[in-house]
Amino acid sequence: MDVLGTIIHGLNLAAIYGLMAIGISILWSSVGMINMAHGATFAISGYAAWIASSAAKPLIAAAFGKTVMAKLAMAGVTVGAGTLAGAVFGAIIYLLAFLPIHDKPNFAVRSLIVTLAINLATVQILLWFFGPRQRGLPKLFGFGKFEILGVPIRYDQAGAILSTAIILGLVLFWLRVSRKGLEIRAMMQNPEGAVLSGISVRWTALPVTMLTGALAGLAAILLSQTIFVSPTAGALPLIKGLTIALLGGLGSVPGAVAGAVVIGFLEATVGALPFLGQRYVLFAQFLFIITVLIIRPRGLGGLLDETRE
Amino acid sequence: MPEVLTIHGLTAGYGPLRVLHEIDFHVEEGERVGLVGLNGHGKTTLFRAVSHLVGWQNGSIRLNGEEIGGARSLGPGRRTSGIVRKGLAMTPQGDAIFPGLTVRQHLDCGAYSRLAWRERRKRRDRVMDIFPPLRKLEDALVGKLSGGERRMVSVGRALMVEASLYLIDEPSLGLAPKISASVIEALFSLPTEGRAMVIAEQNVALLTGRVDRMIGMHAGRLRGDVGHVGLE
Amino acid sequence: MARDKKFYLIGQRPRELLFYPPGSAPLRRRRLPGTRRHLLKWRSRANPKSLRQERRLADKRPLWWTIGLGALLVATPFLSNSMITIAAIFCMFAAINVLWTLVIGTAGIFSLATLAIVGIGGYAAAVLNVWLGLPWPLMFAAGGLAGLFVGGFLALPSTRLDGLYYALLTMGFAEICRVFVVQLKALGPTNGSINNVGSFIPKDWFLQRPGLLLGFGGAFLLLLLSLLIFRIVNSERLGMLLQTAREEEAYAEAVGIDYRRARMYVFLITSGGLGVIGAFYAMFYMSISPSIFSLDQLLLLFAMIVIGGLGRSEGAVIGTAVVVLIDKGMLELGPPRILLIAAIMLVVTLFANNGLVGIREQFRNYRNRKRSEARARRTEKGGEVMPEEAIEFTDKQEIYYRRFQKRLRDHLKTLITDELIEEHRKSPLGKHSDALNRVLNYFRRGEMADKYAIMRQPDGFHRYKIIAFSGERGAPPRLVDDRIYEDINEAYHAVFLLRVNDLLES
Repeated sequence: MDVLGTIIHGLNLAAIYGLMAIGISILWSSVGMINMAHGATFAISGYAAWIASSAAKPLIAAAFGKTVMAKLAMAGVTVGAGTLAGAVFGAIIYLLAFLPIHDKPNFAVRSLIVTLAINLATVQILLWFFGPRQRGLPKLFGFGKFEILGVPIRYDQAGAILSTAIILGLVLFWLRVSRKGLEIRAMMQNPEGAVLSGISVRWTALPVTMLTGALAGLAAILLSQTIFVSPTAGALPLIKGLTIALLGGLGSVPGAVAGAVVIGFLEATVGALPFLGQRYVLFAQFLFIITVLIIRPRGLGGLLDETRE
Repeated sequence: MPEVLTIHGLTAGYGPLRVLHEIDFHVEEGERVGLVGLNGHGKTTLFRAVSHLVGWQNGSIRLNGEEIGGARSLGPGRRTSGIVRKGLAMTPQGDAIFPGLTVRQHLDCGAYSRLAWRERRKRRDRVMDIFPPLRKLEDALVGKLSGGERRMVSVGRALMVEASLYLIDEPSLGLAPKISASVIEALFSLPTEGRAMVIAEQNVALLTGRVDRMIGMHAGRLRGDVGHVGLE
Repeated sequence: MARDKKFYLIGQRPRELLFYPPGSAPLRRRRLPGTRRHLLKWRSRANPKSLRQERRLADKRPLWWTIGLGALLVATPFLSNSMITIAAIFCMFAAINVLWTLVIGTAGIFSLATLAIVGIGGYAAAVLNVWLGLPWPLMFAAGGLAGLFVGGFLALPSTRLDGLYYALLTMGFAEICRVFVVQLKALGPTNGSINNVGSFIPKDWFLQRPGLLLGFGGAFLLLLLSLLIFRIVNSERLGMLLQTAREEEAYAEAVGIDYRRARMYVFLITSGGLGVIGAFYAMFYMSISPSIFSLDQLLLLFAMIVIGGLGRSEGAVIGTAVVVLIDKGMLELGPPRILLIAAIMLVVTLFANNGLVGIREQFRNYRNRKRSEARARRTEKGGEVMPEEAIEFTDKQEIYYRRFQKRLRDHLKTLITDELIEEHRKSPLGKHSDALNRVLNYFRRGEMADKYAIMRQPDGFHRYKIIAFSGERGAPPRLVDDRIYEDINEAYHAVFLLRVNDLLES
């Protein structure tokens, strides 16, 4: 078994699942909504990126030929379309699952059900329009690999890990220092105090849903470097994201990061072990999570919070 | 002096219960008005009606000449943030605080206008001058402060932005007499030009001789001026 | 014309059909054998309109259940083969959902392992039948025991984890079961499914009309049994204990209610029941496959109870009917039927607080709230009575008197104009216009307290001041102001102005 390769693979997975899990976690902690349509956002963004890239291909080829610029333009179009579609779909989720019911009784359960329904409907609509066939996205980071300390790393792995780290860092930094971030935290802690501080719950929730949608879109593009886009592609990342968010303690961003790393490595290790293999990945993950939850009923985030105090 | 708050024929309540009955109430710029009355006679409901947080309300409320009242009950709180941005600063009864934020972040939350956000450091300093005990606690979580300190944070949050009307609900509630006196002291040390202040209190002694007007409230109706106490 | 009109006695409507027995008849209620329960909830009351004693059914739900289930039972034998299968599947899923409702609603445990328990029960029963030759009647017991065992295993963490965490755990459990079954070496060639399971349906009747009818009969019986379990658990001791815990857990614990144990019991009972349903499932299809553990199936089941309304058995059954009819009855629609289910789910959740069965109650609450709000808004100040004051008056005449006064004042206020005041100033006494007469008449009728009068000053003949009576015997009148009027007409007009002022301010 290739230990270092497994570590890289684990980091790659952790990056992608982390994008999903942190989206779910932020949305829960700020607007109190479990977004079951996150998987649908994932799939929609993948398709949007696919459509945009295949539409832009001839244009870019005509403009730049086969230069580096062409590659950059392609990457820009793909990423831009994916994140934009994710953000737009996030806004749709906001319009359907947040705006009409956010001040009605049992919002938490109802928004969960509404987003579940959105997820179901979206997957069906995608199946209807595009069929179950899988589509490949253009390779953003190109093919090939390079070596660090004798470990071969594929370009797409390195790209995914680096871009995720940068973007997550930016988002978390923005949430920490900007006024919007402060508003989001205030709103989650005391809605009445927030409105008396001039914070509109409705206008603060919109950027959050759009941001988490964009994160899911980015995750879709990054994961589609290794697998393909298909209507049901969102289900697995959704389950992984949800379990990681719960494992990390819902609402805790550091917990979600820790959970993503743990789950990513677990998946890479289980997949690499000769006697287990890919089909036992989910099995092992759930077994692991059940064990963790039985020991720590509030997930890893609870652990971190307690040690901090 | 222009009228900051003009309430005409305000009726408000929760469901079948009618708490406020046809209230007419005016506050002029530069005024400090005390609103006294026992528990459950509608002081808090009056404030909440102004900030659109009650179940339903009728009648006209004008803030700086702009109509913010209305006959319909939207979901309570939906219009509050807009009203607050028109120049209302309200500290609700008890402490509407964000327990997980530090004192500094909490004060920053009050600086919702663009200008206030830009010079939030200066304004924080100003609040700390009014409430000196907060200076040491700037990085402490608000949830872990004592009751008096929380009240200071809660009032200080309202002072972060230039509002034209301050509604302070029961600043002495649940505080030791000495601390509540110091909170009230700090409130009265604020300059009055360009702003008006309404303080709801049960403890009349804390306000007598310090407010320009004292209005009683009984069973959802205003009971005239309890006393005219000029400051000049 | 008016003479032709027929008048009925109060409360008697012509051709009124009474479905309830006369209140004067003696009350004969049968108890259910072995219990102290009555079958129907008859309540006697005096009808305030007809002034008669009458007897009404306070809880009509048993009637609706009988009508609905009876109609299903009677209609099914006349349906086509495919419709009979749908009816049987409906009964089976409804039974599962009723038990699931017991877990989610009554016990408050957000478990998603329902289908996993059903599957385990089914697999246990099927394995014992196929490999060990267990006869079919014992398969139910085997399934029930397997369900009970798994339920006991799953119930342990249920008190420790809350809400979503437990949901995740149970979802993970279902996935583990699926992978385990698919990977089982013994089931290798059939991809995890067991076929040729023995059944209460004879082999040569399988998929024939008598077989289908028999299957439906069994499923119907299963539904009845699960409804019975629901009734016994939900509205008897266990349900009552858990009701207290639902309101406030800490308080329930403080008064000595061990709600955790009660939850555990409910979970165990339903797990046993689900295991039995699993055994039935295996027999009904004569096979069982790992798809029962899949997430899609679970989502469909979740859609059922969500559409119907969480926490009520009617909701579980109605939701199941809606979803099964769409999912199995509109097969020709293809994949869009999932879209339809999702759309129904979306619309129901957006507009109803608690599914389809909660709509009636929600609408009534909404209507009552709007009515009482409107009533509270309508009443105005100024003599008229507030709704919360009205209950304090013993003499209701007072309320109407005040209302009349209020209307009178409102009307008179519209009459007062500058011309009217000018008219009075010119000649306070003498002939006046109609409007001024009305206003003056109102003033004359006013109450004695605070009524204005003109007092001649002792120091001069034409020197007047305005006073107001106290309205109390012995208490002197008070001086209104110090102004001295030299002319009596001027004084009359001053009093008039004061009164007009008071009227306008009231």
